Amino acid sequence: MNYPVWLLDAFGGGTLIAIVAVAHVYISHLAVGGGLFLVLTEIKGLREGSTPILDYVHKHTRFFLLLTMVFGGMSGVGIWFTIALLSPSGTSSLIHTFVFGWAIEWVFFVGEIVALVLYYYNFNKISSRSHLILGWIYFGCAWLSLFIINGVIDFMLTPGSWIENGNFWSGFFNETFWPALFFRTFLCLMIAGLFGFLTSVNIKNDDLRHNMVRYCGIWLVVPLLLLLASAYWYKIALPPAQQEMVFVTAPGYKPMLTWFAYLSPLLFAGGLIMAIVRPQSVVRPVAWLLVVCGFLYMGCFEFIREGGRRPYIIWDHMYSTSILKSELSDYQKNGFLKSARWVKNKELTLDNRMAAGKEMYTLLCLPCHSEGGVLNDILPQAEKYTVEGMDSFLAGVGDANKYMPPFAGNEEERRVLAEYLTTTLTPDRSRIIGEIKKEKVAHGPFDQNKDEYVLLASTDRGMSLSSQPELSGLDFSYGPPTLRAQLIYREESPSVISEGVKLRYAVSTGSGVIKGLMTEGDGYFQAELGKLTPPSDLFRPYNLADIEAVIDSKVVATTRVRVGVSNGFGCRHCHGGPWRSEDSGLSRQTAQNILRIHDRRSGTSLLDTFNNSKIVVCSSCHADSSRKEAGRPEQLGLSSAMHGFHAAMLGETTTSSCSLCHGVGQESHTRSFDGLHNHLAGLDCSSCHGTLAEHGASLLKAEGKSGGELLLAQLSAKVESGLGDVKPRRAWEMEPDCLTCHVEFGEPETDSAFNSWTESRDKLFAHRKGEAAVLLCTSCHGAPHSLYPAASAHSDQVGVLAPLQYQASSYPIGADKRCDVCHTEEMEDEIHHPGSLGEFRNRVE
Amino acid sequence: MDISQLIPKPDQLQVGWGWFQALLTVTFLLHLIVMNLMLGGALISFFRHAGGAKSATNGLISKKLPLTIAFTVNFGVAPLLFLQVLYGHFMYASSVMMAVFWLGIVALLIIVYYSAYLYNMQYEATRGFHTLIAGFIAGGLLGIGFILTSNMSLMVNVESWPQYFDRPEGMILNLADPVLLPRYLHSVLGAVGVAGLAMGLWYDLKKRKGDKEAEEQIGSAMTWFTGATLLNFGVGTWYMGSLPVVVRGLPGINGALLVLCLLIGITCAIFALIKGFQLQVRTSAMYLFVCLAAMVLVREFVRRITLAPWFSTSDLEVVPQYSPLVAFLLVFAAGIVLVGYMIQLVLCDREVGQ
Repeated sequence: MNYPVWLLDAFGGGTLIAIVAVAHVYISHLAVGGGLFLVLTEIKGLREGSTPILDYVHKHTRFFLLLTMVFGGMSGVGIWFTIALLSPSGTSSLIHTFVFGWAIEWVFFVGEIVALVLYYYNFNKISSRSHLILGWIYFGCAWLSLFIINGVIDFMLTPGSWIENGNFWSGFFNETFWPALFFRTFLCLMIAGLFGFLTSVNIKNDDLRHNMVRYCGIWLVVPLLLLLASAYWYKIALPPAQQEMVFVTAPGYKPMLTWFAYLSPLLFAGGLIMAIVRPQSVVRPVAWLLVVCGFLYMGCFEFIREGGRRPYIIWDHMYSTSILKSELSDYQKNGFLKSARWVKNKELTLDNRMAAGKEMYTLLCLPCHSEGGVLNDILPQAEKYTVEGMDSFLAGVGDANKYMPPFAGNEEERRVLAEYLTTTLTPDRSRIIGEIKKEKVAHGPFDQNKDEYVLLASTDRGMSLSSQPELSGLDFSYGPPTLRAQLIYREESPSVISEGVKLRYAVSTGSGVIKGLMTEGDGYFQAELGKLTPPSDLFRPYNLADIEAVIDSKVVATTRVRVGVSNGFGCRHCHGGPWRSEDSGLSRQTAQNILRIHDRRSGTSLLDTFNNSKIVVCSSCHADSSRKEAGRPEQLGLSSAMHGFHAAMLGETTTSSCSLCHGVGQESHTRSFDGLHNHLAGLDCSSCHGTLAEHGASLLKAEGKSGGELLLAQLSAKVESGLGDVKPRRAWEMEPDCLTCHVEFGEPETDSAFNSWTESRDKLFAHRKGEAAVLLCTSCHGAPHSLYPAASAHSDQVGVLAPLQYQASSYPIGADKRCDVCHTEEMEDEIHHPGSLGEFRNRVE
Repeated sequence: MDISQLIPKPDQLQVGWGWFQALLTVTFLLHLIVMNLMLGGALISFFRHAGGAKSATNGLISKKLPLTIAFTVNFGVAPLLFLQVLYGHFMYASSVMMAVFWLGIVALLIIVYYSAYLYNMQYEATRGFHTLIAGFIAGGLLGIGFILTSNMSLMVNVESWPQYFDRPEGMILNLADPVLLPRYLHSVLGAVGVAGLAMGLWYDLKKRKGDKEAEEQIGSAMTWFTGATLLNFGVGTWYMGSLPVVVRGLPGINGALLVLCLLIGITCAIFALIKGFQLQVRTSAMYLFVCLAAMVLVREFVRRITLAPWFSTSDLEVVPQYSPLVAFLLVFAAGIVLVGYMIQLVLCDREVGQ
């Protein structure tokens, strides 16, 4: 980061260079093709002995000189000035690499001017032969100028082996040099035809005008066909990475590709029909229209070409932020502020965070973005993010968003930039979640001395999330949790009762009460809570289920259990829109933004479905085994697609990305990961699931689909050691195995369960039983992610209702030798699992 | 703030810096001469129209002005290129600081250039507006010159760079620099002088070809030259006095060479002036050419001494690649031959035609 940045506000983001460059390039191509047009038209006039044609050439030359030598020549200087202002480092690199190339080009420029001036001022003053020689010299010099500039321009897109050897000639005669040269040459000829229309339509003699218009039409149509062929050559000459950038990755360039595709036949038809078939129909407005179409055509091409080298100025060498690829790691290690030259705040302090943030914004964002402008406006993009979302996004730029360079600073600087972008540059969308008012939740009754039964209940999922599809219009909710309960008859050797008993349940939800009888399972009763929705009155990330065990019409035991379900998907952190209500919930605006991106990236039309008030159900295409939805076989599963895609987008180094989306952290109202493992130091989401990239990779590997391979390739860049060792797993069916850490149910021998998956569904913690094969793990320990002693932010009781009910503590059922919950006499054998007769290790206050 | 931290890291060179310095000096001299014809011609034209002077000289200037603009720009490209090779890391930074004005040069240039063609191609049709048009052209060119001078001044005035942090919108002109105004005026007066002498040469040629009216025009043209040059001695002294103390201290070999070149330049200017008063146009032009060459070198040495605390061209790293230089020299030689061929082709053909 060598140079200061010119603050352009609305004219940034490429607007200025687009205006200067496209205008110049259009005329400079005319300057080349027009040279040949002049000479050949003069020859035509001489061959036909036509003085009117020669007069036309004279007049056209005057028009040509005024346009190309004045506007073309001066705007050429303008481009040089402009790129040096917008990217001094890039310009310096081009100047120093190709200084003698530019110097050679200058010689041709001198030749051009001398030849054109002599050509124009010597009409009818020297012999035709000498005059034609001057014309040929002009064209030769002009085309050789193109030859040189073409090499430099395409060097930026495909520097090839120059990257390794730094050799002038390697860079100049790069991979796309020849196809680009042919492409541009045909473009020059085509444009000569287009501008020929402008002067030929003014010829007063009808026959001559038709003759010349037809002649110009040939100049348009024939080169256009050759141009399309060379365009294809150009495309296939591009290395795969640049091809992908142009045709797949960079979303902003798809309109340009479309325009290019539409304008080709339009220009062809224009040239063919109006000029060749019906030259009399070509009047001044039509000629101007064709010239404007040509201008747009040129603009589309230049945009596409420029886009192909994103996120670089010089591919694989210098990023668009002017930071060399080879220096990026130094910036990340030493910090941006220390490494960049044109910053005032070299150190971050409490007082200068936003000032430093602004400096980073100026130097790192504004080289590509405008502020409130037409092109690449950063404001609507930044205002969608919260600080946390932006921080995660910045941590992931360069991976999935390959058109952006990686963030060139350390973690703290990244956070400061995120804060600046989302709290100062744009209105602050982060809502400070205040102190959550806790509710008191009553647990079920239990009399140690009198009650004959113990009713233990839990769910197979501790933190279910719902997108509330009927409200948001988008359904990617988890499958419904299953409520499970076991009725135990208390005695010396207690038994699980499964016959002669009915278990009734009732759950108050946001859409009424769900109630019914639980069905018998393998040693337990269960009920799938299919219509479960989050509470709608007061925000809380759970419902309460009341269960009664009835024997011979008499209620013998009751219990209350938390059913964790929340609308706390954190999509708005990055996708914009408000919370639906109460600092939580997916709003229709957020859903709309998500679908817009999906449509753009995947070519779908889901937004139409959404706008027709229909619910878009993700699992209708992306299989989701939690909902028992098969999806479409060619598409990735929902979990793989979600994690695989977002893992490449988001930050990697912390679990904040997991937290943001799943609403489990302090920035969320939900905070549903409140179980034992959440309180233990050193453990976080990645301890069991791996980092976000590893997590996504494990799911993608199990898919074995082409889309998965692409995402995997993106993810592999995020993990230094690669993803080769990550073992595949199927979502919801293969999860981290508890016994990886708790070998033989003992104290943990490691703090990472990642990459050691349960082999099958019945080995999941949610379905597993203890060694005696009697009690479900969840009956005594609670639901996954909410293991006792769970400490809910919303209630002191709700996370530990069963322990409070049966043993007046918050520890797992039976912990601290509380065998008496079920057993009527003291036990000596650890039949449930080793260690079950010990004191609970992780005490809480 | 440590100002030295602001100076960007330069890129590597492909051949020794001396090559670029030589190319810069030679091509700048070419640019300077044509630029003087352009700017001085435009100013003389304006003053002549404004003063009601009526002679073929006005038409002569209107005919030549577009060409001088074309070649001034064209010959400006090469020195700007070589300047960027040696001092780009200074110049890019200063250009960004004054970006709006710097880019404004291009817009001004296009407008002025088209105005010059209007003045040229519609000379008779615009007779009532000649003062206005010539004034507009001269004013535009003066503006361009001022921006260029300001940038050349700002790029070496590293101490003033921190003002960027308060004004990053590209609106900084280095107006506080005491060197700026005398330096600019010295160039403008020089341009008027050179253009006057060039007109004198033109009419001298005419006179030798037998044009009897040319004699009178020589006197008029040389008045522009001598008048402007006399004034320029005063402005030049002001310019010298305004230079930073470190430059006036003439340190080291650069200082010695500066003195040498300055003495040569002043001496030649005095002789040019004397010969100018004597209407010995060609001799005067010869002295003036040497004077200009010496002053171009003075300019280089002033820059070297000013930047000495921060940078020397000999600090630049060289990673040798000589084949591109060889290719350039071959093309350059071919280009000279080609231009010569074209001119000869036209001249011979015209002679045959006559």
